[in-house]
Amino acid sequence: MADSDNDSGGAHNGGKGSEMSPREQDRFLPIANVSRIMKKALPANAKISKDAKETVQECVSEFISFITGEASDKCQREKRKTINGDDLLWAMTTLGFEDYVEPLKGYLQRFREMEGEKTVAARDKDAPPLTNATNSAYESANYAAAAAVPGGIMMHQGHVYGSAGFHQVAGGAIKGGPAYPGPGSNAGRPR
Amino acid sequence: MDHQGHGHGHGQNPSMGVVGNGPQFPYGSNPYQASHMTGSPGMVVASPGTIQSTGQPPSTQLGQHQLAYQHMHQQQQQQLRQRLQAFWANQYQEIEKVTDFKNHSLPLARIKKIMKADEDVRMISAEAPVIFARACEMFILELTLRSWNHTEENKRRTLQKNDIAAAITRTDIFDFLVDIVPREDLKDEVLASMPRGDVPVTGPPEALPYCYMPPQQVGAAGVMMGNKPVMDPYAQQTHPYNMAPQLWPQPPPPPEQQQSSPDQ
Repeated sequence: MADSDNDSGGAHNGGKGSEMSPREQDRFLPIANVSRIMKKALPANAKISKDAKETVQECVSEFISFITGEASDKCQREKRKTINGDDLLWAMTTLGFEDYVEPLKGYLQRFREMEGEKTVAARDKDAPPLTNATNSAYESANYAAAAAVPGGIMMHQGHVYGSAGFHQVAGGAIKGGPAYPGPGSNAGRPR
Repeated sequence: MDHQGHGHGHGQNPSMGVVGNGPQFPYGSNPYQASHMTGSPGMVVASPGTIQSTGQPPSTQLGQHQLAYQHMHQQQQQQLRQRLQAFWANQYQEIEKVTDFKNHSLPLARIKKIMKADEDVRMISAEAPVIFARACEMFILELTLRSWNHTEENKRRTLQKNDIAAAITRTDIFDFLVDIVPREDLKDEVLASMPRGDVPVTGPPEALPYCYMPPQQVGAAGVMMGNKPVMDPYAQQTHPYNMAPQLWPQPPPPPEQQQSSPDQ
């Protein structure tokens, strides 16, 4: 199945895109990458309509914005300016994506272990915002140390997680209630 | 009937509640009837929960969706559960193998731009897009797996937009995506749910007493029955549906139980 090189997609997507046409391509991940990942979840003889690929593109951007919004709210409450990996994992837990957090915890841990070597690579990948990358790397190093405590909390949540949502919320309350404003923050999430 | 179904389930296998609901719908290959069940997530969530809580308090909120869905699409759901379990196990294995963090299946720069579309987002650490690259891959895989389930229910081999819409409406943690679903599909679901308006009516009364037990759940239940959009934040927190496939240990109900249920 041929993959479309045009991120903007067809009329359906074009209609929605009219609201953000100036930066439409930047709003979605490349359809080729999305399509390739989708195929990994399907049988070899399965086909994917272009509409489906475009819909998943939109869903992924919404997912990123959804999690980022929650993480950003948390940073603001805690008077921090930089969103780090732990904030994202916390947001995913809060928003119901517990299953994603366990695999990602190990991933983040190992990434940090190799962070020194990869900082250069990361900076290269994000060449345009060089200044931000530099500052982010620096602050990330600081938060990596501070994150030891939040990481511990995450581990605790990981244990409670088997007991279902109630305990998850209770865990949030134990931390002084950051989980409680979460639902309110959801109401204000950007669409 | 919901009440009777619950009463019946109280003394037996919790899945009996689902059996009790079964006869009310000519379920089967018709996707819209399935959509109806998911079209009223607040009601569906509440009613099976009262039954599930009898036997499995820890997984009350997790099992209710499975109870509702399993009866209608037993084989499909079993297949989906197996696939999801295999999927998550595979994620652990794959992530353990990752040694090169430079190559990603998704471009980090683009992820960063999407994150920064939110004006409140100021600075992003270098690790954030890396985490998101992996998280988004998991998200795409899970959404696609669940969508394919609907494709197969309709005897097709091409994944379509409405399959994704179905997966979104059937999965609580995907509630934030409802606005992305085509309005045509939403209308279909609304229309499909109209003939069965009686079911939601009986659902809430049964659910209320049990929902009052956990403080947080009370709030969630109240919001669910009041306004679906507002439900999103609470639903996300109290209904991690993702867990259900892994916590669902019970076998399908035997035929004789199925027979006794309609008599109620």
